[in-house]
Amino acid sequence: MQEFLWLLTLSLVALLAVIFVAVIRQAAMPAAAAVPARSGRYRQPLFWGLIIVGVAVTYGTLVPWPYSPDPRTTDTPLRVNAISEQWSWSVDHTELPLNKPIVFFVTSRDVNHGFGLYDSDRRLLTQVQAMPGYVNKVHYTFTKPGQYRVLCLEYCGLIHHDMIAELTVKP
Amino acid sequence: MASNRTISQTVRPVVGFAVRLTMALSIVVFLLMMLLGLIMRMVQGSLLDIPPDLFYQIMTAHGTGMVGTAGLAGAAIMWHFLNRYVRPSVSVYWLFLAFFLTGVVLILAGIFAGGFAGAWTFLYPLPARSGAVWSVHAAFSFIAGLLLVGVGFLLFYLDAARAIVGRYRNLSNALGWPTLFGSEQADTPPPAIVASSAVLIINTIALVVGAVILAITAVNLYVPSLTINPLLAKNFIYFFGHVFINATIYMAVIAVYEIIPVYTGRPWKSSRLLIAGWSATLVMALAVYPHHLFQDAVMPGWMLVTGQILSFASGIPVIVITTYALLSYLHRSEIRWDLTSALLTLGVFGWAGGVIPAIIDGMIVVNKVMHNTLWVPGHFHFYLLLGMVAMALGFATWLAQGEKPGTAMTLSHKLALGGFLLGGLGVVLTFLYSGKESVPRRWAVHVPEWTAPDQLGSVFAAVVVAATIVIAIQYMSRCARSS
Repeated sequence: MQEFLWLLTLSLVALLAVIFVAVIRQAAMPAAAAVPARSGRYRQPLFWGLIIVGVAVTYGTLVPWPYSPDPRTTDTPLRVNAISEQWSWSVDHTELPLNKPIVFFVTSRDVNHGFGLYDSDRRLLTQVQAMPGYVNKVHYTFTKPGQYRVLCLEYCGLIHHDMIAELTVKP
Repeated sequence: MASNRTISQTVRPVVGFAVRLTMALSIVVFLLMMLLGLIMRMVQGSLLDIPPDLFYQIMTAHGTGMVGTAGLAGAAIMWHFLNRYVRPSVSVYWLFLAFFLTGVVLILAGIFAGGFAGAWTFLYPLPARSGAVWSVHAAFSFIAGLLLVGVGFLLFYLDAARAIVGRYRNLSNALGWPTLFGSEQADTPPPAIVASSAVLIINTIALVVGAVILAITAVNLYVPSLTINPLLAKNFIYFFGHVFINATIYMAVIAVYEIIPVYTGRPWKSSRLLIAGWSATLVMALAVYPHHLFQDAVMPGWMLVTGQILSFASGIPVIVITTYALLSYLHRSEIRWDLTSALLTLGVFGWAGGVIPAIIDGMIVVNKVMHNTLWVPGHFHFYLLLGMVAMALGFATWLAQGEKPGTAMTLSHKLALGGFLLGGLGVVLTFLYSGKESVPRRWAVHVPEWTAPDQLGSVFAAVVVAATIVIAIQYMSRCARSS
């Protein structure tokens, strides 16, 4: 997903830059004193185009609800408790099964932390906040065996960058 | 219709002095904060070695300093142009500056003397629970400093409201609502008044909410039994922070509304579209903040959905109204480019460009893999560095030119502009690239696999610093000569 989002961002920024450059190249040319009457002709299509894209993207990204369990399986998820405190994680299952839905119950004993689940290529797979007084749930199903890591993704003080836990996924 | 009627064509001399002084202060602090940013990128890129406690102190100073200075420069821009139409109090402006500077002293003392490193977002209960890294006194100094800065801004906005209501009778008129809803408006407010009115409404609310959570945090430092629900605190902090930082751009864009027409000969009118855009922005700026809380799954679902929808919708006025209008006004306008007009145009490009990665991260499914990675500083440096700061520098250059178009761009102008654009884009794209690579945000130590974009980002940041130094020197020397 990240590669696609990066390319999409680059493309849209480049498109915006091209439009600015095109207008700037013509800006010094003579014209009537007033803004040309036809200059607004793209505005309505642009507005309605953005509205249509917005509706489609909103529906496409909120249905199914992003916080729901994996809809591809009806298996009862394995509950894994992850408790954070400055500056370590306490995870009650560090060896996790393959292809079985897992729900992480994440909380904190002191300040806000961030539960960021990374694969062995250091790719962020999912995350949720670890908050004192609350339990946030995040669902994930591992489809590849190997070593995974939990990195802290909410700034929590001096050793924030070294607040890491190791997980192993076995077939 | 007495549209855009000014009180006087020339701004009172004391106003000019106060604004030039504020912009000088802002540019110096912007530069210092850029240097702190450069240091952080060099540390992350293993080009410089400093201990993590100092890194996080620098991170706290950089964030607080940039947000505060963006607010200061934005306020100077708004106040400068308000004085064309209404009579805000000069005394209140000096009082605002006094509160601001006193607050800055306390903030710097808290960070560099007391070791406070709780980030500019001071996420409760971190200030009180540092793991024995800083004392409660250091945290209190920082929090009290923020409170004083906030009081200064509150005075500034209340006085702006008084001045605006003095002429337009109420804020509904100043927002242009009679024009929007079809009735006659004898004194149609110019875009500067419409924008200022929206900003003072949203920022007054934000500052009050910010003051509440700051006060509770301060008391909690010494009376730990007095607590607040951490999720409620988080809502307060992100509501305040989101509105405040976005308002800095809303204030800065007033310079575009007021200055670009001098170059194009085409007045920037308070059309119904512009008024509708600002009214929508007023509502959306207040309601969109839950997009900072997508990873708090316990938040009510309707708030998270609202956050996602309004994240997208907030970008529409920026692109369809402000950016589109600027391009229409520029098109075949016979503009003579100078550093001012170029920087202001760059500022709108930066604002619109930053909206793109921001909207993308404003979707819950994307946020799950982008939140709190370097994608986040990528998008906000886009619309703050290339947007807000570019507009502020454009405004400063305008002041230095004696508030009239300058001569053609000199070589130093071209180098400064090119350096700022190239360096700024480089800073932004290296952040976004690292975000795409899942590199966490706010980490003092990066593994070797992450350091290449950090090192490249450091080079680009150095280019931005060099370009800003050129613009700063020209501003200071011209202001010194003219005074």
